Amino acid sequence: MTGNGTDKTQDRLTLRSRLSDMAQLPTWIEALASRHAIPADLQFAVNLCLEEAVSNVIRHGYDPETDLPVTVRFSMPREGYFIFVVEDEAPRFNPLDAAELPALSPGEEIRVGGQGVRLLRRFADTLEYEPTPNGNRLRMGFSTAGSAARTKG
Amino acid sequence: MALATEELTGGVTKVILDGRLDIEGAAAIDLQMNVIAGSKKAVLVDLQKVSFLGSMGLRALLAPARAIKGRGGKIVLFAPNEMVEKVLKTSGIDTLIPVHHELESALAALA
Repeated sequence: MTGNGTDKTQDRLTLRSRLSDMAQLPTWIEALASRHAIPADLQFAVNLCLEEAVSNVIRHGYDPETDLPVTVRFSMPREGYFIFVVEDEAPRFNPLDAAELPALSPGEEIRVGGQGVRLLRRFADTLEYEPTPNGNRLRMGFSTAGSAARTKG
Repeated sequence: MALATEELTGGVTKVILDGRLDIEGAAAIDLQMNVIAGSKKAVLVDLQKVSFLGSMGLRALLAPARAIKGRGGKIVLFAPNEMVEKVLKTSGIDTLIPVHHELESALAALA
């Protein structure tokens, strides 16, 4: 463990439940992207989904505790396919069960918030949740094949 | 995330964002955006140098937009990159805050 409380081995990043610790994520993702040739648009999608998933754990699962672990693991089961798994020790909660609010639209009162689940579903190619003995595990898959579809919109 | 402003002709305030509009970036510009939202009526948010936009960043755009529109003002988003625009479209924010890639059309929308 480093002095600031994070454990940063190459394929695993453990954060403490402080939003300020999320600043570790982009650098870690960038290093993985460089090592494994993750294309830029897919790297963007990973950043987006991890920010959403990890911040939800910190802000909702762990609040108000600030020294609990959120672990993000990376693996590449095959060429062009990348898995990121977020694990926590928070009370059981499946973010995929959360109602996906409709996209914002003209004529409605501007609603701040509620787009996180939508973004997860649109930017990750696969999403799987499972409870663990101590908390939750959210597995997100990203593929270079999905990358082509992402940029086409 | 850095924020700079420039006053254009026609009473338009150009807000130039530079960096990541993630949780940290959104917090960095929150106060300045609130001040702008409370005082300006024609705002062009230049996203050319925004490399990332997350859900907290969306909030950082939506809240000022709501304030500006509530005061009878107008706001547009200018020149996001491809992936940033994908986030804007996925969330539907582009239906509330128009996105323009040409400065001329952006300024016309604020007139």
